[in-house]
Amino acid sequence: MNIAVCIKRVPETAEAAVNIDSSEKHIIPDQLVFDINEADNYALEEALLLREKTEGDITLFTVGSKESDEVIKMGLAKGATRGVRITPENLDNLDAYAVAKLLAEQVKEGNFDLILTGCISSDVGNSQVGVTLAELLGIPHATLVIKMGIEDGFATVQRELEGGLLEELKIKLPALFTIQTGINEPRYASILGIKRAAQKELRVIENITAEGMKAEVVKMYYPPVGKMAEILEGGVEEVSGKLCEILKGKGLL
Amino acid sequence: MNDILFGCIQCGRCTGGCPVSVRSALNIRKLIYRSLIKIKNKSKDLGIWECTTCSTCSIRCPKGVDVVDYIIDLRSDEIERGKVQPQVRDTLESVFKFGNPWGRIREKRADWLEGNGVRILQPGDKTRFLYFVGCTPCYDTRTQEIARAMVRVLKTASCDFAILGIQETCCGNEVKRMGEVGLFEMLVEENTKLFKKFDIGTFFTTSPHCFNTFKNEYIDLDFVIEHYTTLINRFIKEGRIEPRGKFEKRVVFHDPCFLGKQNDIYEEPRELLRSVPGIELFEFERSRERSLCCEGGGGRMWVETESDEERLAVTRVKDAAVLEVDVIATACPFCLLTLEDAVKTSNLEDSIKVMDIVEILDEALGLKDEEERVPEYQNTRSSDSKQSQ
Repeated sequence: MNIAVCIKRVPETAEAAVNIDSSEKHIIPDQLVFDINEADNYALEEALLLREKTEGDITLFTVGSKESDEVIKMGLAKGATRGVRITPENLDNLDAYAVAKLLAEQVKEGNFDLILTGCISSDVGNSQVGVTLAELLGIPHATLVIKMGIEDGFATVQRELEGGLLEELKIKLPALFTIQTGINEPRYASILGIKRAAQKELRVIENITAEGMKAEVVKMYYPPVGKMAEILEGGVEEVSGKLCEILKGKGLL
Repeated sequence: MNDILFGCIQCGRCTGGCPVSVRSALNIRKLIYRSLIKIKNKSKDLGIWECTTCSTCSIRCPKGVDVVDYIIDLRSDEIERGKVQPQVRDTLESVFKFGNPWGRIREKRADWLEGNGVRILQPGDKTRFLYFVGCTPCYDTRTQEIARAMVRVLKTASCDFAILGIQETCCGNEVKRMGEVGLFEMLVEENTKLFKKFDIGTFFTTSPHCFNTFKNEYIDLDFVIEHYTTLINRFIKEGRIEPRGKFEKRVVFHDPCFLGKQNDIYEEPRELLRSVPGIELFEFERSRERSLCCEGGGGRMWVETESDEERLAVTRVKDAAVLEVDVIATACPFCLLTLEDAVKTSNLEDSIKVMDIVEILDEALGLKDEEERVPEYQNTRSSDSKQSQ
């Protein structure tokens, strides 16, 4: 079983203040901490679990700057075989289609039985790269996969649908699946493991220009401040007291 | 097999004294025996993540076997394989990314100050005393109160002290004990590099855990390292802090393992408590070297126990209830949190309060009330401290 996993380095923005630069098209990365995209981490773990059952290689692909080597090395530390980083000259202006096209150029050479991606990126949240990549490669795909099994050249996957419905599909390999978070429990990559991973193969593809962009970021901005929001002030006890009063007043407690 | 275990004579003093053996699968003697006769130890069956690294076993061992180091080695093997409890993974990843185990961003590390005037060191600065606050008092809302009390108390001592603000990073004491050797080494390197940017006289910590690793495991620090109980006790003896006011309560002191068992600091916290007028000081039946661990060490703040038996912190709180004390005093943020949880789950909230020693001193001195009454208080105190230097 020859598996490709597409991963992305994204900023952690759960608590951090996200600031937009003067071009109004990008965020300022200086104060932010970066990590592997959450859903991609689950995709990687799914590949590692599958490889524990069957022989084969895991190749990681990413489109990003040199800093993306951090997430590739983390994946190599966890057990991936090799990594490929694609860094086009016009990295700052890519859309999901261009990213998928760059990936497709490299992935198609690899003769992969299975290609896994995360179902969504936590930075721009397009959910487009996986499905576009499958189209460009001319192979079947399934999105939002929450369970996966491989047997006799077929994959049986469960998908999560709206309203709590599940769908089970049997798909002939090679195929691409976009993996939903929660499908497994990703493992830990130790610091010594990451250091050792520097000895594994990491191929860098540079001096290329991405083409065929279909979408352009016109402007990034904060949503206008609403008038309905009430900011409670004071210490923890005072604020929680006030909040309880409000919730009680609205019949929610 | 690990050479450190050859000294073991299977006497069982380790397991006999181990506080978690009575409530979990952890059995040190069995672990070592299996290792000596080359049976592979599987952690899940043998409870290696139940260990709090309190070091009772190592202290009791008549042959000087460092049992805790062996547990850490076993954990390291699991860390290297990557298959650890999700909480362990998240904690270690948080330390790597944000410099603290609580998953909080660095920019909020000094929010506990709430605008109080404390000097934050800049590269090249000199300070007589550096207060290393620690991750838990920086982010946890309950233990932030300890850090604020510390600042108020220190200001009365008119001493030149400073903090690192958001430059401060996890000490790595728990990281090491969870078996993440590489991350610990990285923290030692980064912290040592950071401290070298300043001219520090005495370095002191809120937590005995930070104190322990800086004192015993960082090899290249060229300043005095103390736990705050030692420093403040000295200030009281020198008359720099004069405990006025009263704290008329029945108080029992709970020895934190990383202060007592691992660093032999038993007298200072007791002396400090005795110096506060009004305190009637009690002792647990199990105190000092025999003190019962609260189960907050060795990464156990983030590792869930698999045992349904009574938690040791609950046992401790029940012992305090028998003594009919009003306050359990401790000098460790982890002990404070585990004991306070136990007070709540034991429905003793109305009768027993858990306080850090510095909070008791702060209350006796009436500093919090004073600060609330006089907003300029902080500024006055800051200028006092400048004059005194």
